[in-house]
Amino acid sequence: MTSVKSGSRTVGTDKNGSISSIGKSASGELMSTWSRAFTANSEWPDKDEFLDVIYWARQILGILIGIVWGVLPLKGFIALLLFAIVNAGLVYLYFSTFQNVDEEEYGGAWELTKEGFMTSFAGFLVNFSAVYIHIRLKIN
Amino acid sequence: MWEDTILIVFISIFTALLGEGFTWYMVYRTEKYQKLKAEVERQSKKLEKRKEAHGDSIDKQQKKKIERDEEKLKNNNRDLSLVKMKSVLFIGFAFTALLSMFNSVFDGRVVAKLPFTPISWLQGLSHRNLSGDDYTDCSFIFIYILCTMSIRQNIQKLLGFAPSRTASKLSGNMFGAPPQQLR
Repeated sequence: MTSVKSGSRTVGTDKNGSISSIGKSASGELMSTWSRAFTANSEWPDKDEFLDVIYWARQILGILIGIVWGVLPLKGFIALLLFAIVNAGLVYLYFSTFQNVDEEEYGGAWELTKEGFMTSFAGFLVNFSAVYIHIRLKIN
Repeated sequence: MWEDTILIVFISIFTALLGEGFTWYMVYRTEKYQKLKAEVERQSKKLEKRKEAHGDSIDKQQKKKIERDEEKLKNNNRDLSLVKMKSVLFIGFAFTALLSMFNSVFDGRVVAKLPFTPISWLQGLSHRNLSGDDYTDCSFIFIYILCTMSIRQNIQKLLGFAPSRTASKLSGNMFGAPPQQLR
């Protein structure tokens, strides 16, 4: 199957040359949010649904980065800066390269970049601190 | 020290669930709230669509319609806040009492060691009631606020109690965070 970008929506062409939207099952029904979140160039008719995917991805990312930074361990302002860069960068890559969504439909890249950022940052700080102390105490 | 941090995480999960449970009992399950919420969401979507379609137009009639819709939405949002008011006030008082209780339990205790030095205007919070000049020492209140910021909002979202994005955006809330988030 080949993919081409048509307007804001990416569509696929199957072997017979007929056009079908990616993220739909053979019967034409939309796949579950989970499947579409992991399928490249999926179709997102409900904007809120895609924003929810971004939100939860960011929360998981915040927790994971917190654990990794604590284990390494990274310290100081650079750790916080790196979190912001990695978190925003990965999410940006996800929606612009993997899902290929039209940012303007969501009010620009900034709207997508800030979705759930503060909550994710708070979760990151708690995890980062907890893992950091745990590792430090073990070493001492 | 590590156990204290984990304990604070559990305390904030518990208080968030308690707060949401109480608000559900007092507000979310009531017919009045559900009706108002559905109305606000419907109007928000309608207004957003209208703005998308006619936002840049100079047509006076369309502008008037948008203004009228905005006014309606504002009124409904105000009604929604009023319905929530009683529960928000009660939770505010209850949580302030709980917070001062936990504050006295953890008073003067270093509950975590931060891997960074907080900026000066946050040190009053992160180093509250702690002795010494090591600003990486962290007090209960700082970790509790961070946990609440993260856990409360996630629980609200998981349970479907978080306000809709469109309504938050149209009522001008930055980051889409509910106003009672830190309580």
